Amino acid sequence: MSETGPLLRARVSIDLGSLHLSVELSSATGAVAVVGPSGAGKTTFLRILAGLEPRARGRVTVGGAAWMDTADGTWVQPWDRRVGWVPQDTLLFPHLSVRENLAYGLSRVGDSSSPAPLDDLAELVEARHLMDRRPAVLSGGERQRVAVARALLSRPRLLLLDEPFSALDRPLRDELAPRIRGYLDRHGIPVVLVSHEEADAHALGCREFHLVEGRLTP
Amino acid sequence: MPQTLCAVLVLGILQAPSPPAPSQRPGGDLRVWAAASLGPVLVGLEAPWEAQTGARLVLNLDASSRIARQVAEGAPADVLVTADRAWMEWAFEQGAADPAQARRVSANRLVLVASRDGPRVSPDPPTAPDDLDSFLESWDSTRRIGIAGEDVPAGRYARESLRALGRSEQVGPALVTGGNVRTVLEWVARGELPLGFVYRSDAWEDARVRVVADVADSLHTAIEIWAAPVVTTANPDAALRFVEFLSGSTGQGAFREAGFTPGAGGLRDPPSLLSPTDSRPPVASVRSAIRISVQVALVATLLSVIPAVGLGWLLARRPFPGKTAVSALLLAPLVIPPVVTGFLLLNLLGTGSPVGRALAALGIPVAFTFLAAVMAAAVVGFPLFVIAVRNAFEAVDSRLEEMSWTLGARPRRTFWRVSLPLALPGIGAGAVLSFARALGEFGATVVIAGNVEGETRTIALAVYTLLESPGDSAAIWWLVGASVGISLLALAGFEYLSRRQRHLVRRNPDV
Repeated sequence: MSETGPLLRARVSIDLGSLHLSVELSSATGAVAVVGPSGAGKTTFLRILAGLEPRARGRVTVGGAAWMDTADGTWVQPWDRRVGWVPQDTLLFPHLSVRENLAYGLSRVGDSSSPAPLDDLAELVEARHLMDRRPAVLSGGERQRVAVARALLSRPRLLLLDEPFSALDRPLRDELAPRIRGYLDRHGIPVVLVSHEEADAHALGCREFHLVEGRLTP
Repeated sequence: MPQTLCAVLVLGILQAPSPPAPSQRPGGDLRVWAAASLGPVLVGLEAPWEAQTGARLVLNLDASSRIARQVAEGAPADVLVTADRAWMEWAFEQGAADPAQARRVSANRLVLVASRDGPRVSPDPPTAPDDLDSFLESWDSTRRIGIAGEDVPAGRYARESLRALGRSEQVGPALVTGGNVRTVLEWVARGELPLGFVYRSDAWEDARVRVVADVADSLHTAIEIWAAPVVTTANPDAALRFVEFLSGSTGQGAFREAGFTPGAGGLRDPPSLLSPTDSRPPVASVRSAIRISVQVALVATLLSVIPAVGLGWLLARRPFPGKTAVSALLLAPLVIPPVVTGFLLLNLLGTGSPVGRALAALGIPVAFTFLAAVMAAAVVGFPLFVIAVRNAFEAVDSRLEEMSWTLGARPRRTFWRVSLPLALPGIGAGAVLSFARALGEFGATVVIAGNVEGETRTIALAVYTLLESPGDSAAIWWLVGASVGISLLALAGFEYLSRRQRHLVRRNPDV
């Protein structure tokens, strides 16, 4: 991923009736955090980046490639964007084991045959002992760790974290966050984190923006 | 022509509506429960009767077997008119009618009719038909023959005649059993069946059929029309007067005009040789009825799987033009009376329609076959299936599908790996529900598939057939047990699968 200009550039807006969101964000660094109160539109912003809000208008480029541009009709489907999406409630597939959840995104990378990265990432988020369990029996924190590992395993071009540490206690967050950051740096994966807590942004070493009433301020 | 069938359906199957009960208006309306074949005569007598007495006739027309039983069970009738002697005698035995007041009012003959090609030239009485034996000699055995039920007089006479000719085995496989003789007539008149046994009076009255063979009187019990006041009537005088009215000149004239044979008689002749049950051929087989029911319901459900899953998914997940209309139309078979559904299916798939003709040309005749029973069952079960599938897909968090997309799975793959597995118990529940509904299907089946022993006679139809004949309660109870048992089993399966579905898609607790 050669860098010519900002890694992530987004100038998007969406009108959902109750929420009018208009965000302009440009970042040359690999890690951005959007901090704001609940209801400010943080989750919607991530969904726009993931390609899950077809009603959004504007332009998004990642690593120089345009994902959407309503000016010229560019639209990359969510399955072709390669984002790693970690929603707040994790959305693990309830009918699959942890191992199957982790492996779900591997098929697009084409190396589902080798379990090595799968085990490595399970190790990274301390989920190796959970592999054969169903999501329903996991604790909230365990689910979040598995969800992060699943997102990373799909080799994303952009990682989207939605309140990823909300269910982790502080010591665990402080232990895991640097590991994840290290992994992102090693693989050159940019990340957008949204949270209502600045501490999350600090833990992952993100450049911080504040989202208030649908508008972004540094 | 459809009006005639509608009339038959309304009068014969749905039963007539119930205006004021006789007890409320003594000396007023006279409620006459009569054999379906007497419909034209009695309708024609409504005006003269009203002119004579100032009272109206309220008619309930159905097979003799059914009206006799209903009267014996206390139906609010004043006069019972049967199309044969045996059922009237049965009513005597039950104490429902008084032999001393009963009259033989007319007689009838049995004929084999075919549908008439082209328009009718003149109101010609059927002339120069073959006799039954020589007709059957050159009969093409692929031409199916409609016949009324085993315990309906017309059906009994026809079967007696075939046995007397020694042709039961030859003709047996081609017989299609209809509820009453009017149903058989309508099937032939519409061209759904090439041939049918009906009364001469029916053929006389209906321009759409012609007589191809006469059935000699010597081959079967005499076909006598009997009328008697019902013992429990609130209008004994009017009832007796009506019976005498039928035997009088006005009544006899009406019978003659309608193609009946003069045959009014006084009190009882020597007792007939046959009681309603004596000549009954093998009753509906319990085993075959259960087998057919399960097969029909199973095939109907399996055929529905792909359309139901496809449509249920579309309704749950995709906006499309006309979605409201489609989803309303889909529910139609749930609220339309099954008999009407059967009628519409007959119009769609019968030989009178291009679709039916095309299928028949391909060697897949639908009407009155196993396939027809399957179609009827599938159509009435389909809405329940689709609703269950739609609910199952709607219960799946659509964000799980979005998650699958972001992990690189296109919509098709997402459907197979996420949506379908998560909706599977609900889809199974829908299949079970549709199976249970198909198992209980009656109204549409009897119209489009008839009541063919060993082919379309399901549990419901077998029970109905057995109910028309006294005795055989053991067989009925076996069928009732099987029906209730299988249904409860299916509903237990439905409950279990619904619970699995709820468990599977329960949202994760908040993190």
